[in-house]
Amino acid sequence: MAEARTSTRLTYDYVTRTIARTLGAPTRGYFLLLGAAVGLLGIGIITLLFLLRYGLGLAGYSHPVYWAVFITCFVFWVGIAHSGTLISAILFLFRSGWRTAVYRTAEAMTVFAVMTAGLFPLIHIGRQWYFYWLIPYPNERGLWPNFKSPLIWDEFAIGTYFTVSTVFLIMGLIPDIAAVRDLATGWRRKLYGITSLGWTGANEQWRHYTRGYLYLAALATPLVLSVHSVVSWDFAMALVPGWHATLFAPYFVAGAIYSGVGLVITLLVPIRRLFHLEEIITVDHFENLAKLCLLTGSIVSFSYLTENFVAWFSGNAAERAAFWYRAFGPYWWASWTMNICNGLLPWLLWSKKVRTNITALFVISIFVNIGMWFERYVIIVVSLAGEPFEPWANAVYNPTWADWGIMAGSFGWFFMWFLLFVKNFPAVSISEVKEVLPPPRSKAAKVRA
Amino acid sequence: MTDSIDRRRFLKVLGVTGAGAAALSSCGIGPEPTEKLIPYLIQPEDQIPGTATYYATTCRECAAGCGVQVRVREGRAVKLEGNPDSPINRGRLCARGQAAIQGLYNPDRLTRPMVRNATGTFEAIDWDGAMQRLSAKVAAARGKGIVFLTGAEQSSFGDLVDEWTAQVGGRRLSYEPFGFEALRAGNRMAFGTAALPTYDFANAKYLLSFGADFLDTWLSPVEFQNGFSRSHAFDAGRPASMAKFVYVGPRLSLTGMNADEWIAARAGTEGTLALAMAQVIVSQRLAKVPADASRLAGLLARHTPRAVAEVTGVEQAAIVRLATEFANSKGGLAIAGGMAAQYPNGAEIVAAVNILNYAAGAVGSLVKFGADLAIGRTNTFADLASLISDMAAGKVALLFVYGANPAYSLPGAFPQALGKVGYKVSFSSYMDETAAACDLILPDHHPLEQWGDSRPRAGVIALQQPVVQPVFDTRHTGDVVLRLAGRPGTFQDYVQSKWRARQKTNFDQQWMDALARGGVYAESPPATRAVRLAASLDSIGAAAPAASAAQDQEVIVFPHPVLHDGRGANKPWLQELPDPVSKIAWHSWVEVHPDTAAKWGLATGDFLLLKSPFGAQKFPAWITRSVRPDVLAVPTGQGHSAYGRYAQDRSANAFELLGTQVNSYGGRTFAVRASATKTGEHRKIVTTEGSPRERGRGTVEVLGLARAKGLHAGDHPFHYEETPEYASGAVEWWGERQHEKASIGNYQGDHPRWGLAIDLSKCTGCAACVTACYAENNLATVGEQLMQRGREMSWMRLERYWLTDEKGEPQGAVNSPMLCQQCGNAPCEPVCPVFAAYHTPDGLNGQVYNRCVGTRYCSNNCPYKVRYFNWFNYAERGGEWEAWPEPLSMLLNPDVTVREKGVMEKCTFCVQRIRGAQNQARLQDRNVRDGDIMTACQQTCPSEAIVFGDLNDRHSRVYELAGNPRGYHVLAGLNTKPAITYLARVVAQETPSHG
Amino acid sequence: MVLWILASLLPPAVVFGQQAQPASQRYRAPVVNDTGSLKGPRQPIFFRHDIHAGQDQIPCMYCHSSAAVSSEPGLPSLQTCFGCHQVVGGSTPSHQAEIKKVRDAWRDKKPPEWVRIHALPGFARFPHMRHIKALGAQSCTTCHGDVQHMPQVYQVTTLRMGWCVRCHVEHKVTRDCSVCHY
Repeated sequence: MAEARTSTRLTYDYVTRTIARTLGAPTRGYFLLLGAAVGLLGIGIITLLFLLRYGLGLAGYSHPVYWAVFITCFVFWVGIAHSGTLISAILFLFRSGWRTAVYRTAEAMTVFAVMTAGLFPLIHIGRQWYFYWLIPYPNERGLWPNFKSPLIWDEFAIGTYFTVSTVFLIMGLIPDIAAVRDLATGWRRKLYGITSLGWTGANEQWRHYTRGYLYLAALATPLVLSVHSVVSWDFAMALVPGWHATLFAPYFVAGAIYSGVGLVITLLVPIRRLFHLEEIITVDHFENLAKLCLLTGSIVSFSYLTENFVAWFSGNAAERAAFWYRAFGPYWWASWTMNICNGLLPWLLWSKKVRTNITALFVISIFVNIGMWFERYVIIVVSLAGEPFEPWANAVYNPTWADWGIMAGSFGWFFMWFLLFVKNFPAVSISEVKEVLPPPRSKAAKVRA
Repeated sequence: MTDSIDRRRFLKVLGVTGAGAAALSSCGIGPEPTEKLIPYLIQPEDQIPGTATYYATTCRECAAGCGVQVRVREGRAVKLEGNPDSPINRGRLCARGQAAIQGLYNPDRLTRPMVRNATGTFEAIDWDGAMQRLSAKVAAARGKGIVFLTGAEQSSFGDLVDEWTAQVGGRRLSYEPFGFEALRAGNRMAFGTAALPTYDFANAKYLLSFGADFLDTWLSPVEFQNGFSRSHAFDAGRPASMAKFVYVGPRLSLTGMNADEWIAARAGTEGTLALAMAQVIVSQRLAKVPADASRLAGLLARHTPRAVAEVTGVEQAAIVRLATEFANSKGGLAIAGGMAAQYPNGAEIVAAVNILNYAAGAVGSLVKFGADLAIGRTNTFADLASLISDMAAGKVALLFVYGANPAYSLPGAFPQALGKVGYKVSFSSYMDETAAACDLILPDHHPLEQWGDSRPRAGVIALQQPVVQPVFDTRHTGDVVLRLAGRPGTFQDYVQSKWRARQKTNFDQQWMDALARGGVYAESPPATRAVRLAASLDSIGAAAPAASAAQDQEVIVFPHPVLHDGRGANKPWLQELPDPVSKIAWHSWVEVHPDTAAKWGLATGDFLLLKSPFGAQKFPAWITRSVRPDVLAVPTGQGHSAYGRYAQDRSANAFELLGTQVNSYGGRTFAVRASATKTGEHRKIVTTEGSPRERGRGTVEVLGLARAKGLHAGDHPFHYEETPEYASGAVEWWGERQHEKASIGNYQGDHPRWGLAIDLSKCTGCAACVTACYAENNLATVGEQLMQRGREMSWMRLERYWLTDEKGEPQGAVNSPMLCQQCGNAPCEPVCPVFAAYHTPDGLNGQVYNRCVGTRYCSNNCPYKVRYFNWFNYAERGGEWEAWPEPLSMLLNPDVTVREKGVMEKCTFCVQRIRGAQNQARLQDRNVRDGDIMTACQQTCPSEAIVFGDLNDRHSRVYELAGNPRGYHVLAGLNTKPAITYLARVVAQETPSHG
Repeated sequence: MVLWILASLLPPAVVFGQQAQPASQRYRAPVVNDTGSLKGPRQPIFFRHDIHAGQDQIPCMYCHSSAAVSSEPGLPSLQTCFGCHQVVGGSTPSHQAEIKKVRDAWRDKKPPEWVRIHALPGFARFPHMRHIKALGAQSCTTCHGDVQHMPQVYQVTTLRMGWCVRCHVEHKVTRDCSVCHY
């Protein structure tokens, strides 16, 4: 990928101050946003209380559609998480300098998205209060979870992913916290004092730090591929037509990164505007993200084609019926939303005009998110609804307030954490941005490979 | 009514099991602080705590008089099962019989006598007070007209009432909403006898039903269904193999959809068709025609196939073909009844069909006069009509109503007349429409709480004994009448005296036998009485009704298969049971042909306003090809204005459309002309119907008769459904590995592999099995609102796929019970994260409710979609979705856990019965024998289509059936290795097509 | 085996200082002065298993008659109690007082409401007859403890699934879930 050129006027000092400024006193706008997020979260919590008291029946489930919006959201959020690690770890290993301006946001997004996704398996089970039976622990009954079950694999995959990406985020933060610590005052100074773990920026520290960071990046990289592969096996391991496909792992990983990058753009645009980071997060950064979008988007569209081709080519009546039902059944609108948003939209990004037009990118990224949500909805709900094995057992499923309530709550939960983060920690990596700047007193701005 | 029985008495009834069927939610160990154990005062010697006792008695849900055995646990009746000793139902039972227990423990039962006070509202009264009032009223009403209205009562109770009414100068009237006047009139016309014959379905070689719904509502359904399956089901052993069944009628009923061919003759012309067939048989000498048949010549001459083809709408060729098939089968049986016997010309139709039977020589061989069916011996509708006019004229001072609800089945006329009656007394156990209009209600015991007997036919006297102590402060109406008559003793004594009169020698011995066997049954069926053609046959063959007028539609009102005349509507099991044909539950409907619907722009669920000269009602449309385009069909049963929480204000009452005038044969006409207008309202009617077409997925398999006959042992006509060649190697290898894994721990050694065989050519789709499953396994009823969301819990569902001819017109249907297949290689097991779904050593797909956390992955991965989830806590006391409001909870099976919310459940092959049998076998140091275990569905199935057993036992019946060449496994291609073998349906026509 | 489990489970205190004795030697039930100090819930009638089952050596199944043939052991009907106590009036005043309660209950046809001590959750099945068939009529103590020596019955074993499973493992009998849970 082409290296993003940051403007030459930038100096170390400027960067530190600009980014530190993002931690300045919150504006009314910020509080409005935060309020909205907490409000949504409140809705979610109330809905959850209802579900606990009366049972999952309040949601729209209808035999045989036994998984629906909750699992859709679960996969959606896990997917979102991926771009973070991709940008921070994989691009780091590829030494692509342009990531420096955006990876912090992406990575924070990862952690919070996993935190959100992790809630859904707990919410969607029938007896939430027994969730711990899914965790292996020795007990007098001699009972263990079933390690054959993809759900148990999930549990481990998500767990690992959450731990690693959290450590990765915190580690990356250390030098920056130190930097802002020196500018901060009051309780924040204390907070940063502790969280910067006594960082002085000594050469020794830098040497260990960069080594450690490298290893962590190496450790995180396989997770990008593994986690969503495992998630995809929740479906691929089942025999439901529309789920039961070997294609699923790569298909899901690509989709995940696609949606993730989408959300990164959606988040970066306002941050850049609000915190005046135009100098640091430049159009070139967005263009690179757009290219990533285009690539993964194309993989997704290709997967769609493959799915349908295999369904036809297999000659399997059930498979064919399932995909016919998808495209022309009562849920045609869902499948076509997904096809248009994920299949056609990315092709706009072939044009540089679009790639370099922030507004256009912002709009497209929104549609990418919608499209990817519907992809999961189609895969889960529609595959179950048009039961092709047993023609007698088919249903038309409609979500209820409970489904939407929990979903709203998940967005509230995510954005609450995210907003708190950007106000209290540098949303752009100070140290790494500096890395790609020309060292002081050197003439030409040259960029390290 | 509102206050339920107090806890103390409740527990006493429960005996020692504390909370009875304890709910899954009662987790944790140690006693719940409140839990008390109340011992018996005196231990009933015939009851062992924790062990069921069976009492033989008689089912009174209809007048067929089936014998039942009631399973009683700690003083609670928990399940009804057919009594094998009864010659009528041979140990089988229908859905209505299964649900009788919900009448016993119905939450809307009247708990004590009620009297209408000055303000016109009911208030409680004690029995003595009630009896005093009543005696006074009787004394006052003597000579001024005392009438005792009962249902079909050929019983000691009926005798007692007759004696008493005679004593006080009153009279008794028996009334069934769906009477059989036409049958008796028709028999009189043709043979000069008003008696009802028995029909030997089992030995027929060709069945031709003119509207008679003998599988669902007509006369004695369980008995007839059992016989029908013996003759109609394919059996390679029998020379005839299978009797073809042709149904003639304007719509396909449950009976009709079991036909091999449907002749949709114009409504009311069935008789003409029958005569035409007789004409063919006689003129072409197809059968050995009785000597006096010559007297038919004149009549038949008027009914040549050519002549009637026009009026009946059946092609001439078809008529000739049917007649030829019928006669050549050398065992043709034609039955007229149901709808055909409820037209204005019903009697003529019956007479005509009698003549067809006579001409073909079926009378005396398959149609046997002699055992006069009791249900036919009710008073005629004419008698009731005269009663109504008497009432209206104020000639009735005192009216007793027992076992009938005329205010519902005769809306308008009867309630009005009732207003003119001096004093009205109801003995109903529930606040039904009639009771609500009475002045005094003396709630009777439920049949399961009372002594009694009934004489359903010559040679059978069925005994009724109380199997539980009365749940409420009710009193046997027999005792009430005895008190009124000032006679000593209880009604039990009265019954015994009656029996003593019949049985002079060693009465006590015979009485004990009767108690054990559920009655006395004559060794040999009653002698067949020969009948000859009646002296005059002029009245037969009257012209068919005039062709339809202008806009009006022919509307036929038919009895609902399970709600029947409405008496089933207060039982949630029956409300939630999808109608076998339409698959609609909790609501009524009107059947509309697609062409008609297209004409009016109707969609299923759109309301039609039917306006007849007598009343107007709205019904949502169900669009189906199973009804003639020029006919609309509406079931009875719904639309109660009273009758408890489950029945009240639910849909519309079809009786409103009918008139109350008496027709030519003294019966009531159930067909009216009505205008139909689309109201614009729409309702999401609850239907469990998925795709009506099976789309060749191998869910059901159908064979042509010739093909089926050609099969030999070892054939695999459905082999193509098994694992394809290219995969078999891999599958075998995989199977081996699995087997090695499965030979450790609990899985070591030999175990049974429980399996089921279901013969689709026997299954009629009557749904008795479904209700039996509800009763045995504590399945919750979820109600209409949740059922609209597909939340029903029915572990066993009946899938009805139409069989269609080349023109796409339905020619009957094939019914397939779909339940957990207990796969040997189950997709549900590996995906469960907590081993709640796991494989038991004896080959079941175990479902451990208390381990289930409710991820529902198992259901997603189940290709049969037979797993059901507890979305709410249906056992929550007073909860919004409570399925067992007290005392309904008393019928919960203590051997089966009541599931908590958030738990998955499914068919267990009645594992509690398996374990029970194994425990008993161990106590006797033996192994479980084939036949020891019967699943609830198998036990009740009237057509004996289901067989349970051990597939590893080379000598078991199920093993033999599993090897039948007709056998196939649903979705075998998925390598699920199901334990259920389906035997393909066999149809008479050679090129069966299903969707 | 049974005794081994028993010994491993019962702290000495349970049997009031004295070790369980073989049934051959006569056991004398202690005089209980302070009923308040006894373990277990207070019953409507102070029925002493240690006197009936221990001292008088009445077999368990005399009262809990269906334990050997049915899944439920059953409680003695009041008739059974009265059968003896028609004649047996009790030796000490305190005994007489309690026995009077029985006679009154029989007179008023009001059976006492015993407090349940041993209860399994509704989803667990325990067929008593299978266990007695396998372990013998003396094996009640395995789960119910040394009732013969308890003036007032209380729960000595957890009756948790772990407790069941352990025994099933030791006896090498099935641990299949669907044997107990359905």
